[in-house]
Formats: sequence, structure tokens, C-alpha cells
Amino acid sequence: MTGTGGRARYLWLGGLVAICLGLLALAAWQLVVLERQMRIAATENMIWVFGQTQIEALNLALALSDEAAPQQIQTRFDILVSRLTLLEDGPQRRFLENAGVSETLARWRSGLLALDPAQGADPAALRAHVTALVAALRTKASLVMSHEWQSQATRLDSLRHLHLLALMSVLGAAVAGLGLVAILIDRERRLMSGQLDHLRAEKLASDLERERETAENHRRFADLIAHQFRTPLAVIDSAMHRLTRRSGGPVPPELISEKAAVSREAVARLVKLTDTALMMSRLERDAVLPSLRAHDLNDLVSSVIDDLMATAWDRDPARIRQSVQTEPTVALCDPMLTAEILSNLLRNALLYSPPDCRVDVSVFQSRDCIVCRIEDRGRGMSPEEIECAFDRFYRGSGHETLPGSGLGLTLARDLARIQGGDVTLTQRDGGGLTAALYLPKDDVA
Amino acid sequence: MRLRYTAQTALMTALVFMAVPVAAEDVLLTLTGAVTDGRVEMTRADFDTMDWHEFSTSTSVTDGRPEFRGVLMRDVLAHAGAEGSSVRATALNDYVVDIPVEDFHRFDVLAALYMDDVPLTPRDKGPVWIVYPRDNHGVLADIRYDMRWVWQLVALHVQ
Repeated sequence: MTGTGGRARYLWLGGLVAICLGLLALAAWQLVVLERQMRIAATENMIWVFGQTQIEALNLALALSDEAAPQQIQTRFDILVSRLTLLEDGPQRRFLENAGVSETLARWRSGLLALDPAQGADPAALRAHVTALVAALRTKASLVMSHEWQSQATRLDSLRHLHLLALMSVLGAAVAGLGLVAILIDRERRLMSGQLDHLRAEKLASDLERERETAENHRRFADLIAHQFRTPLAVIDSAMHRLTRRSGGPVPPELISEKAAVSREAVARLVKLTDTALMMSRLERDAVLPSLRAHDLNDLVSSVIDDLMATAWDRDPARIRQSVQTEPTVALCDPMLTAEILSNLLRNALLYSPPDCRVDVSVFQSRDCIVCRIEDRGRGMSPEEIECAFDRFYRGSGHETLPGSGLGLTLARDLARIQGGDVTLTQRDGGGLTAALYLPKDDVA
Repeated sequence: MRLRYTAQTALMTALVFMAVPVAAEDVLLTLTGAVTDGRVEMTRADFDTMDWHEFSTSTSVTDGRPEFRGVLMRDVLAHAGAEGSSVRATALNDYVVDIPVEDFHRFDVLAALYMDDVPLTPRDKGPVWIVYPRDNHGVLADIRYDMRWVWQLVALHVQ
């Protein structure tokens, strides 16, 4: 159906182009013919030529009647003969033949030559002949005139006819051209709407894909929340249970403070999880606007370590070794977001390495960055695992039972990037993992 | 009938020749105006001292392409020491037309004395016929140039 329609359209198009070009060629040819016919031919001047002959006949008649000098009469005679000779020549003769006056003129000329004064002819006979010639010419002049105007009018008719034909050809070509334009515009419109449909379909597909991704993220997030909330809640429940189960005597204050600490840490973990989820959600909505200022990264690291130690009762402050820093390490960053990143990286280092192993933290300058490096002595990660480590909801193999959202590293990297920095993971020489935070140097410092 | 016509033509031609014997001392062309001493008369002898040229061309008043022989118009003007931009040509019958001198330099315009080896006489288009090389230049096939083919030329006034 479409193929037949397409072929028909092409036939239409080709036909219109052929008609258009054909008509234009016809018009051009007619104009060329017109141009050729527009010249004035000398034979169209016959009224004048014939008039001159009449005048010369009269001049000779005058010279004869005035009895002028023989030389003058001879000259006038010669000129009149030349006029009659001219009328005998090809183009003039044909014109006069058409006008129906040729035959008689030839007779007048031979009659005149027979009376040549140079041959001593009788002047009286010559005068009579010329007088009769003048009268004959007078009657023929009107025939010449009407024939000339007749032929002029016929020629103009034919020119007008040609002109009209050329005009009609051009108009026809214009109509065919309009048809062509209409077809081309229609095709263009079809093409455009086809492209629009295609674009719309692509957009729909990409919207659908994004929607699917979001739905998948939500589902995984719900799973995660359910799973990760369960453990701290179980811890709190167990602590409360211990405190209320005791029936014999009052609860010793040591037990209360111990269970309170355990419960608070569980709550802290829940809060942390909620904060992370909120932050991710804000990041996804592009609602996080970093306020970048100059801050010493070393100081930030120290305060984050202090906070970490304060919120977890069982953490050993000696595990974290912060190397002493002498050079300035002023970075251009948002302190809240940077603290969040550092806290995530440090928690990971503490969580994924044995409790008796050291975690080294150092802050230093590279060529155009301030770098904070956190090295643990845990199991480390294979290159393949490092590659996936920043994926959302990714949990290292064997760590599924440890608390964690699978969002920490993703969040850390996203937060670093919106500040113009980055987070990387590399294998540490001698085992373990090195996490590094890069932040832009403060140019003023 | 045809025989009679041919005999008639022969007779006429003979009469023409007898009627106008051209003597070497007869003045054919008179130049006036901006020429040497204001007036130069040219006889057949003067023409004979100049370079002669010939060519065939169609004309607006004859059939075929007759061959014309004569001298170049620019040579005639040079012979008379003419200094001007235009000549007023006058024919025996007082036909008068102005011709720009430029024409004679752009084209090889002939002051023809012979057509098809027959001398031009006042009974035909003589003594002198101004002939343009009409077939060599498309622009010359035009009534504006046809008007300048003066026959029976007798005088040129240079201005």
C-alpha cells in the first residue's frame, strides 16, 4: 500500500518536473522565434521607396517641362531609371508582385530606356511617357501602401500570437511549479511529523527506563530498610527485655547504663541510616547545594574522628592513627558534606577490618588537590569488587551480615563530586584497602 | 518569352554603358568640411592610386551575395585629410544621412565602384555605393545600419 502510494507520488513528481521544464523550454523557444522576427526588414520601407520613385518621376517631368539643361535632364533621367531598376531587384520585385503591380512597372522601365535623351530620343515623346508614368505611379502608390500595412499587421498578429503562446507556456509552467511546491511541502510535512513521532517515542522509552530504575531502587531501598532496621530494633528490644525481665530486686545501675549505651548506639545507627537515605533522596532531586569555603581538611578529619569515638561506646580511640601534619591543607569544600564523607569512609575502615588492626589517616597536598587517605588492614577487595563498590546497594561479599546500607560509598562519591572532588578505592600495599578523598585546593591559601 | 527577356536585359545593359561613359577626369566624389583646404574632389584616377579591396555580402535590396570592389571609406577620408567624427553623405537624389566616422574604423566599410565586376553607374547605384560587411558582423543586419548604405554617393561633408 505504502510502496504503491510512494511510487505514485514519485510519478506525480517526475511528471510535474517534466511538464514544468517542457513548458519553460517551449516558452524559451517561442521567445527566440519572437526575437528573430522583431527585426525590421528593409523591404518594409517600400512606401518610402515607392514614394522616392514617384518624386523622381515628377522631378524629370518638371525638368522636361522647364526645358532645363540637357545635363540636368540626363541626371534626372538616370536617377529615375535607377529607381525603377531598384524596384526590379529581388526583394522589392517580390513585394510588388505580391501587391500586384510588378508587371506593369517593368514595362514602364523598358519604355523609358527606349527614350534615353543621351541617344537623342524625342523629348516630346519622353515627356508624354513620363507624364503617363507619374499618373500610373500615383494609382499604384495606394496599392503599395495598403499591401505594406497589410503585411505589417499580419506580422504583428503573428508576433502577438507567439507572445501569447509564450505567456501561456510560462503560466502553465508556473501552475506545474505550484503543484511541485505543494507536493514537496506535503512530503516535508510528513517527514517532519515522522521525525517528531520518532523523537517522542525515544523520549517515552527513556522516561519508562528511568521510571523502571526508580521503581527498582525504591524496592531495593524498602528491602534494605526492612533488613537494616530490624537489627538495631532487635538490639533495643533485647536490652529492654533484659531490664524488665529481672524480677528479683532492683536493677543494678551498671546494667542500666550498659543497656542504655547499647540502645543509644542502635538508635544512632537507625538515625544514621535515615540520614543517609534522606541525603541520597536530596541528591537525586539535585536539592543539595554545597556552600564552598576554605577549610583545613586536617581539622575536619580530627573532629570527625572525635565524633565517631563519642558515639560508639565500644570503640578503641587508639585504633585510628592520624599522622601529624605540618603543611597547610586548606581545601575549598562544604564542611557538613565533607564530614559526612569522612565519617562514611572511616566507619567502613573500622567496620571492615579486624578490631585489633590499626587504621591510618593522613592528609596531604598533591599538585592541585588536598587528599585525605584512610588505610585499613582488613581483608581488602579484589579489583572486580572495587569496580562495583560505588554501585548503589552493593555489599561486599561476605559482609552481608554486617550493618550497612550499601549506600555509604555511593553517597560519599556523589557528595565529593558535587564539591568538585572525588573518592577512590585502591588496594593497599601489604593487604587491606586505601580509600582516598580528593578535594580542590583553596586557590587563595 | 524568356529569350525576349534576356535580349531585353542585354540591350538595356548596353544602353546603360553607352549612356554614361566614365572619363578618368570626371569628379566622382566631392569631400567638404574638415578636409584638406576645405574641399577635395576625387576622380577615378585618384581612386586608382589607392588600395582596392573586395568582399561578398548580402544586401537588403538585392538577392544573393554580390561581390563588391572598391576602396575603404577610411582610406578615402585619410586621402582627403579628413578630421572629424561624423560625415554627412549626400546622394545624387539629395538623400542625406549622417554616418559616424567610427563605423569606418570598426568595420571594413567599402566605397564600392564595382558590383559583380560591373562598374556602378548613376543609372544603377553608382558612381559610389557605401557597402558595409553585413555578413561578417551580426550587428550590421539592422535597419539603423541599412540606412547608411548610401548609393549614388556624390558628396561627403566631414564635421
